[in-house]
Amino acid sequence: MEKLFKKKNIYFVERVTDWEEAIRTAIEPLVRQGYCESRYIDGVFENTKKYGPYYVLCENLALIHAATNQGALETQMAVTVLKEPVRFKPDGFDVRILIGLVASDAKSHVDIMRAIGEIFSNSETVEKLLATTSQDVVYDIFANSNDVA
Amino acid sequence: MEIKKIMCCCGSGLGSSMLVRMNVEKVLKNHGMNDIEVMHSSVSDAVENAADLFVVGGDLEEFVDSLPNKIILDNIMDMGELEEKLGTKLGF
Repeated sequence: MEKLFKKKNIYFVERVTDWEEAIRTAIEPLVRQGYCESRYIDGVFENTKKYGPYYVLCENLALIHAATNQGALETQMAVTVLKEPVRFKPDGFDVRILIGLVASDAKSHVDIMRAIGEIFSNSETVEKLLATTSQDVVYDIFANSNDVA
Repeated sequence: MEIKKIMCCCGSGLGSSMLVRMNVEKVLKNHGMNDIEVMHSSVSDAVENAADLFVVGGDLEEFVDSLPNKIILDNIMDMGELEEKLGTKLGF
């Protein structure tokens, strides 16, 4: 999992002003570290215009990503836990966990997706994620849900 | 019509489509249906004849309007809903 997800890429943020800031907050570390080009963020905005907030998968979770050909360079994820929830549309879910994902092909992030599926189908695990401000705790939740770490 | 190929779709073809694909494979495996091909892709690839059955989240319903055989999921993380709707299509 050290390969696809690094402990330093777990962030705790008090609040974001709106969903657009949420997207930038989730992806910017991955741009800075060279996992995607800055136009990857534009890609998310473009896709949102077309499809709506397709990355809000369930309550509390936004899996923010663009497509591979929108500036993805190397598969990687980053996690931002918000203290205050954000909405991506007025009648949408409240979201406190932003997972920024870059996938350089259609398959390399399968372990990440397996972990996400496992974590968010179990409300107790989600509660643990929402309650902590420890990078170690968040990291272990992902690591124990799959061999992502 | 016999279903041999299921395509799970989302906006990018990377996120929820892959999650749903893994869940579809789980359900099929539980029912011993090992000869159905499951794939994930962008909703722009969801055209008639690309698969026998399409699975998408409710937010993308309008993009698959023209497809004859599809499952629309209200909650893409809900295995129970998926199992029920797949069962209706596949007869289990």
